[in-house]
Amino acid sequence: MAKLTFDYEGYVALVTGAGRGLGFAIAKALRDAGATVAINDRTSDACDAAIARLGGGDRLIAAPADLSTADGPRHAVAQATSGGRLDFLINNAAVNVERSIEATDDVHWDTHLNVILRASFLTVQAALPLLKAGRGCIVNVASELGLHAIANNVAYVSAKHGLVAMTKAMAIELARDGVRANALCPGTMDTELMRDCATDSGDPEAYYTAFNRYHPVGRLASPDEIAAFVLCLLSPAAGFMTGSAVAIDGGSTAGRL
Amino acid sequence: MEFAGKTILITGSTRGIGAAAAELFLERGGSVILHGRSQAGVDAAVARLSAQYPDRVHGLAADLADRAHCRSLAQKVGALDILVNCGGIFRDAPIAETSLAIWDETIAVNVTASWVLSQELLPVLRQRRGAIVNVGSDAAMLGYASCVAYCASKGAIVGLTRALAIETAPHVRVLCVCPGPTDTDMMRQSVTTAPDEAQAQLQWASYTTLERVAAPREIGEAILMAASPRATFMTGSIIMADGGATAGKRV
Repeated sequence: MAKLTFDYEGYVALVTGAGRGLGFAIAKALRDAGATVAINDRTSDACDAAIARLGGGDRLIAAPADLSTADGPRHAVAQATSGGRLDFLINNAAVNVERSIEATDDVHWDTHLNVILRASFLTVQAALPLLKAGRGCIVNVASELGLHAIANNVAYVSAKHGLVAMTKAMAIELARDGVRANALCPGTMDTELMRDCATDSGDPEAYYTAFNRYHPVGRLASPDEIAAFVLCLLSPAAGFMTGSAVAIDGGSTAGRL
Repeated sequence: MEFAGKTILITGSTRGIGAAAAELFLERGGSVILHGRSQAGVDAAVARLSAQYPDRVHGLAADLADRAHCRSLAQKVGALDILVNCGGIFRDAPIAETSLAIWDETIAVNVTASWVLSQELLPVLRQRRGAIVNVGSDAAMLGYASCVAYCASKGAIVGLTRALAIETAPHVRVLCVCPGPTDTDMMRQSVTTAPDEAQAQLQWASYTTLERVAAPREIGEAILMAASPRATFMTGSIIMADGGATAGKRV
């Protein structure tokens, strides 16, 4: 396969929710491309474990913080920017627990709205001076569910749609500062989160079959192929892209098979 | 009299778009429950309309920023055919100056209140094959500077609309009307606090293809169209009543 390579040596990135799944894949891809990467997850243990899995080294920074809280996002940014530089902010952290309308309680609603939407706002706000100084780049990891809906996921769908709209507002406000902001809208990926959802469903095999079929291409995405695209988005190759909501979803939002 | 025998709850209907929609529902036979934050405001709005439409105008006060108030509002509503989630706030501020309080209040009023009311009123709306009309904004589709929380909240309302539509079909239709800039107190407040008032007024109009802001009644008409029994095949629809703002722009 053709190989895209990027050289991010000297660049500093913060990836939220990087302990596992897509966040981990993005962090790994950035590290492999030479960047210094701050790994955020909820706990120090989760950050340390991810850093250990990546082999450690001085280009990996632990930035533990609970992004569902009001001060967690600022705390994550502070740890990531102790070197006084931030080029890439990747808001990837999310929660995704499927619930019917009836079963969606206040805690469930607030957790989704706060982790997915408010935290992404607050990290950008905290990182803004450094992003402006370095003409940096924001990638908000939304979802194909930021572009259309499924049942039993009302809080997640609302929050992800909000994230897409918020990304456009940020792109417009920051356009003349040279800071780009784009939303990435992946389809279903084969991540730990997906495996959790499959287990929760009670019939993992049927769950996987349904989601494979749901995507016109007939399979799930691998986190690595989404992460590779994030590296493209951050690069000068995407220098004219801002305010875009990029579907990378195996054709899911394009139509019906 | 296409809404005869129908009961409609419209949040944020003591003024602006909500008030215009309420008048239109009344003109076309509906019974309306007006809503506003203050009891005095609600009483005044009820008094103004009930002279012309006796027995068809009711009112309830509730603070949409407080979900306990939203739940208690829902409990006071009996039979209901149409819920119009129109109450909203707009606080403009650059990203750096958007306080946590602005963020939380904007999400609470513009998104969470609509969610809580929809959830609470779904049983009666299901039973009566009703409809929910959420009021979004062109800002759900178009980014604007200095209103990041508002844009996020209106994007979320589009998502809420779609998620509710998918999950409540075929019993309840759920739609979203997205107004462009409209001549309401909300917009006027933003204009009068701008450094250059005349320029701010022109700028709002310039966002649209029609090069003017909407009258509240024009948005009310779009809300009635969405809620109408003539729209039986429309659900999950995002209806742009934005003077062409999302259609494109001139160079």
